[in-house]
Amino acid sequence: MIRTRKKRPPEDAGLPEMLAIQGVRKAFGEHVVLDDVSLTLKKGDIALLVGANGCGKSTLLRCVSGLTAFEGSVRILGAEPRSAVGRGLIGYLPQLVSLPESVTVGEVIDHFASLRKISVRTPADLAAAVQLPDGFLPGLQRPIGALSGGMRRRVALAVALLGSPPLILLDEPAASLDAGHSASLWETLKVLREAGGTALIAMPLLVTSLLRHDLASVADRAVLLDHGQVVHDGPVESLRPVPVLGAHRPMSASLR
Amino acid sequence: MNPAAVRAVARWELRLAVRGRLVMGTAVTFTVVCVLATLLGLRSLSDLGLAGVGAGTGALINLAILFPPLMGIMLGANSLSSARERSLLPLMLVQPLSRLDHVCGVVIGLVGAVWLTIGFGFGASALLLAGVAGTADIGGLLAIVASALGVGVVSVALGVAISAVSGSRLQALGISMGLWFLFAFAIDLVLAGVGAAVHLGPLGLFVGVLVNPLEAGRVLMVLASGGDALTLGPFGAYLNQTVGAAWTAVAVCASLATWTGSSLLLAWTGISRREP
Repeated sequence: MIRTRKKRPPEDAGLPEMLAIQGVRKAFGEHVVLDDVSLTLKKGDIALLVGANGCGKSTLLRCVSGLTAFEGSVRILGAEPRSAVGRGLIGYLPQLVSLPESVTVGEVIDHFASLRKISVRTPADLAAAVQLPDGFLPGLQRPIGALSGGMRRRVALAVALLGSPPLILLDEPAASLDAGHSASLWETLKVLREAGGTALIAMPLLVTSLLRHDLASVADRAVLLDHGQVVHDGPVESLRPVPVLGAHRPMSASLR
Repeated sequence: MNPAAVRAVARWELRLAVRGRLVMGTAVTFTVVCVLATLLGLRSLSDLGLAGVGAGTGALINLAILFPPLMGIMLGANSLSSARERSLLPLMLVQPLSRLDHVCGVVIGLVGAVWLTIGFGFGASALLLAGVAGTADIGGLLAIVASALGVGVVSVALGVAISAVSGSRLQALGISMGLWFLFAFAIDLVLAGVGAAVHLGPLGLFVGVLVNPLEAGRVLMVLASGGDALTLGPFGAYLNQTVGAAWTAVAVCASLATWTGSSLLLAWTGISRREP
């Protein structure tokens, strides 16, 4: 079942867009990764950033989070990502992250919470700071080194969602998650959506096309990147399954 | 600057460091050799009388110049480069803190780990000295400890700077090892060899102390412990004779402060310009 989006509250009128990307270009030497990418997200928008491997999804998220230099403009609520105002507006889950093995889950959460000036001393504090389904986060006393890849991914995801930052950037959040925890992730994102959160979620094209009906209840839009350019921006349902793995076909063939 | 964020990063880095094998291994080794050096010094004291104090102190100073700086520069070199390779650095840098906050937090946390190691080693020596020879020599030991803490700060800052600008963790560790070897041994050997042949002169000797933070630290420790020309070495003895102990101490402190400040600046520039 596809949810209809709630009407935007009238008090949002006149506020700057949550995310405004204008003419972003990024090249590594001769290789152009992003070419004149423009995209806007309003408060409460949840968009999937979809594309094949190497199409520039992660690079675009790194541009938005202020981690890499680029040509063009990115504004989060009108602020530059690396400015004092812009910092802290983002919750970011990198595609690959290896948390230190010598610390516990609780110590990781506590550290990142303290950077955001959030208290997580009690389970109630933690539940308020990270709105995750019960059992999504591994036990707080468990060392990171004793966790599986999927469990570590869930801890990193909790870090990204700490304190409900205004803009959440998730780079392939379902990678390494089993079916049950993927479902928990989608439930979490539904909660985020209902709470009016804003997110840009990078997903591989194949996964997106296979899960499009599930994702339609999570995201409003699917933005398709191909060779560093936005080639489609529309409802999630407009993506169709990729029928053959490895077949050489233009990206636009993924559009209905 | 955001002091709360700096504190949080420092606490995190200290926690990671003290749980690492490098700090544990260095702390144990440093403590053992400090105890051995103190025992040998105390034996010299009983055999040679007061002449044995210089030998014991000299051994502790040499240990303080070799072990903690090696540990500090390696910890620093491992810090940002390792976080970058683990993709942990991007996760840290999107938090509400500036690059400068992050660098300062890393340096403070790692300095804490080095200071703990120095505290263990010299603490054991101080207990031995106090138990066997009374508290008369403790003042000198404390002065050495204070100087060693300063050298620890320089070494960590230098390591973090190398870490910030290096292409990989392996490269950062390699450069750090090379620099430590250069400062601990190579500069002395080269200057001693060249000095006899080309007559370095006063300026050469002066620069010889100030460009080498470990030599500056050693001179400071010897001065602080009331050492003589023999333990000051040729560069330190020259400075001491020319400008006096007080100005020598000021000059070497300024050298250590400059090394620390320029390393922090390099680290900040590196982390700001390089992609994490």
